Amino acid sequence: MTQKIAVAVDDLTVAYNYKPVLWDIDLSIPEGVLMAIVGPNGAGKSTLIKSILGIIDPIAGSVTIYGKPYSRQRDKVAYVPQKGSVDWDFPTTALDVVMMGTYGSLGWIKRPGAKQKKQALEALEKVGMLAFKGRQISQLSGGQQQRIFLARALVQNAAIYFMDEPFQGVDATTEIAIINILKELRKAGKTVIVVHHDLQTVPEYFDWVTFLNVKHIATGPVKDIFNDDNLTKTYGINYKVAVQQ
Amino acid sequence: MSPSIEIQLIAAITAAACAIPGVFLVLRKMALISDAISHSILPGIVIGFMITQDLASPWLILLAAVSGIITVVLVELIQKTGLVKEDTAIGLVFPALFSVGVLLIAQNANDVHLDVDAVLLGELAFAPFDRLIVGGIDVGPKSLWTITAILSFTIILLIAFYKELKVSTFDIGLSSALGFSPVIMHYGLMSVASVTTVAAFDAVGAILVVALIITPAAAAYLLTTDLKKMLALSVLFGTSSAIGGYWFARAIDASIAGSITTVLGLLFLIIYLFAPSKGLIAVLLKQSSQRIEVSLLTFLLHLNNHDSLEERSVAHLQEHINWQRVKAKSVLDLALKNNMIVIDNKVVSLTQKGLDFTEKAIEYIITNKDEKIEDMKDDFFLFRG
Repeated sequence: MTQKIAVAVDDLTVAYNYKPVLWDIDLSIPEGVLMAIVGPNGAGKSTLIKSILGIIDPIAGSVTIYGKPYSRQRDKVAYVPQKGSVDWDFPTTALDVVMMGTYGSLGWIKRPGAKQKKQALEALEKVGMLAFKGRQISQLSGGQQQRIFLARALVQNAAIYFMDEPFQGVDATTEIAIINILKELRKAGKTVIVVHHDLQTVPEYFDWVTFLNVKHIATGPVKDIFNDDNLTKTYGINYKVAVQQ
Repeated sequence: MSPSIEIQLIAAITAAACAIPGVFLVLRKMALISDAISHSILPGIVIGFMITQDLASPWLILLAAVSGIITVVLVELIQKTGLVKEDTAIGLVFPALFSVGVLLIAQNANDVHLDVDAVLLGELAFAPFDRLIVGGIDVGPKSLWTITAILSFTIILLIAFYKELKVSTFDIGLSSALGFSPVIMHYGLMSVASVTTVAAFDAVGAILVVALIITPAAAAYLLTTDLKKMLALSVLFGTSSAIGGYWFARAIDASIAGSITTVLGLLFLIIYLFAPSKGLIAVLLKQSSQRIEVSLLTFLLHLNNHDSLEERSVAHLQEHINWQRVKAKSVLDLALKNNMIVIDNKVVSLTQKGLDFTEKAIEYIITNKDEKIEDMKDDFFLFRG
């Protein structure tokens, strides 16, 4: 394969209180894939994303984005944290949250202006939330909040998108809206990496998959490696009945 | 300037300087840490005083701010061991440091006007006695200059780092991913809070400074959903309570610091009760109208499901849906007012509007799709989540 490697993880080990959450992970993510990271609860899926983004410090190993450390590639990466990780009672509006996506390109001290506002409004339109731009964020439904987060990532106009459970607690309409946007991103040549819970939808939504359970189990095209063998290795029980390909 | 005006100025500027970091502490759910800082800066102040023999020395402020930071670091270190929770860690650290300060005062500062009373309650009334003399000219009380410098510094930092403060307070993960180190922002905020606390300490003491930091922000939080307005309102509440408190103290001949805090407390109580959407009364009213609206919906669904005249007679509704007369009447009135039903010869029928409303509501309940009810949100609390 001559595909470029977007994200490379080498010998990554992360521990909380000396208990490894991720153990010696080696992982290469090719450019342009729409990839699910699957694994049971406590498998370290969110931790993997957070350590790639430098939010958590690993005890060993390294991560590169297009061959360079993340700290030099911030402008190439957008991140959608878990919806539950923020306080939605924070005094701010939908538009303002989306504007936060532009802060990275501005750097320290510089303030967002008309150009950033325009970008934010366009992103809101893309996720169908333009009508809600002035609404206080606690007044939005769970699905709408998730779309706001997605819009904030779109504003970053990155090459690689990391999303931590974007389908958690959203209604069916929002789920379809989100996956359509993710597929559009892939079409535009972006790399999209999603922590995902619903195994049933993996073959339909994604073209690439990583199995993770503290250790890295497998990474590859869904059609090649999304099978009983890997599911059993990851989840420890036989998934033959649960997932039919 | 008369001492009266000087005291009011010091109080108002102190309140403003406290209110700004207070907003971010409240939003970060770190209100307690300001309590910890305000107590544990005492050893810093005492050691600073022992070295400089001057209560208004900048070294004192610096040393006290350092002990504020040490508090935060200690709390985090203890918490990180996982053996105790954060609130316990705070409760362990600040009394320890505070008691060191108290012992140091008792040992070394008996003969000067640094005593435990002053530390706890402040000495605002004496502030005008300590003058700053520059080139032989009296330019005003020292503490006025100190706190003005700190407020200016705080405002400059706030303007420069507003967006960084906002993003790191709202979403620590994004802030870190974007390269705005939450650790730097955290310690920056803690430093400002410590410095401000030290300066305010002089005016209102270790216990009441917490009120100046937390109360204005807590009150503003109930009134607005905009961070900038929250900052402006906090400063307004802080300064007006400071001036109001001064005059209240004059009127009843009591401690200025105590009066300022009392006024702040009363102001908070009023806002807590009467704030338009987040206040206690508004919330209770909202809950009671939600109950009526749920009843209205139940009633409309009942009408939608039953065609027979008997099921739709006014008298039947009372016994069949098992509602009290008063409740049945208020639901009927609400439905009539919104043109959702007509009553003809004591028989109730849905209007077209009532039918549409019911169908939309059913669809919302079944699908939980918010788009369906956007236009209903203005009329009904029920759908406002």
